[in-house]
Amino acid sequence: MSRNPEEPVYNRIEEARVALGLSRQDLADKAGVHYQTIGYLEREEYSPSLVLALRIAKSLNQEVSELFSLTPLKKGK
Amino acid sequence: MSNKNKIYWLEGVTEKGVKSLLNDENSRFSWLRRQRNRRVLVLFMAMGIIVTAMGSYYSGLKEELRLDGSAEIVWLTVAVLFLLFAVLVGYSLLRIAVRGIADAPTELLDERQVRVRDTSYRYAYLISGYLLITLLLLYIFGPEISLFSDTANDGSYLLIATLFAYASLPSMVIAWRERDI
Repeated sequence: MSRNPEEPVYNRIEEARVALGLSRQDLADKAGVHYQTIGYLEREEYSPSLVLALRIAKSLNQEVSELFSLTPLKKGK
Repeated sequence: MSNKNKIYWLEGVTEKGVKSLLNDENSRFSWLRRQRNRRVLVLFMAMGIIVTAMGSYYSGLKEELRLDGSAEIVWLTVAVLFLLFAVLVGYSLLRIAVRGIADAPTELLDERQVRVRDTSYRYAYLISGYLLITLLLLYIFGPEISLFSDTANDGSYLLIATLFAYASLPSMVIAWRERDI
């Protein structure tokens, strides 16, 4: 959603995805969502449900806590 | 993989049809999905709906404008062209532009798309309320109209435009609001 007033969820999805050499479409297929949804998530314009966060973390071989945070994340760490 | 094409009767769509719109199978329409182009389409649709509604006041308008035979033909041709564009082309393009999300069943959408769809219906509902108030004010204070009349102002155009707006509004809201579809 482009005008989402709720508390943002920060993430390292793009960093983890690129590290695995996956395209947005690849990750979307693994997580069972549309590739535009991956774009919204990476731009932190959409906060995923817990189920989707778990699916994405699994697809990227990471823990949810490593991938998502309620405070801004330092990229590249 | 099953070749069975599930039909969603309530939404009036098929599984293959929805999946085709959700994926980029119609890449020749990708230009239509840019927000600017979608907004232009919404404005065209709104114009088409207004022109259709104006058909109800054609009899009175004809007298007011003092149209002769040839002017009437031009006026009718323009009105019919707008009507055709709005009903057939505009509605189809709008559905393609928003990937048919407004009409898609929940099981074929992801959670963000479901949220986009549901939010669009909320806005469409609110806008419909304002449209109904406008129609009521037109009925009370506007020129007299009756349904299916060939002598007085024919209210059936207004009815068609209202139904058309009702069907198109959720897609129009998505087309206007969403950055990426």
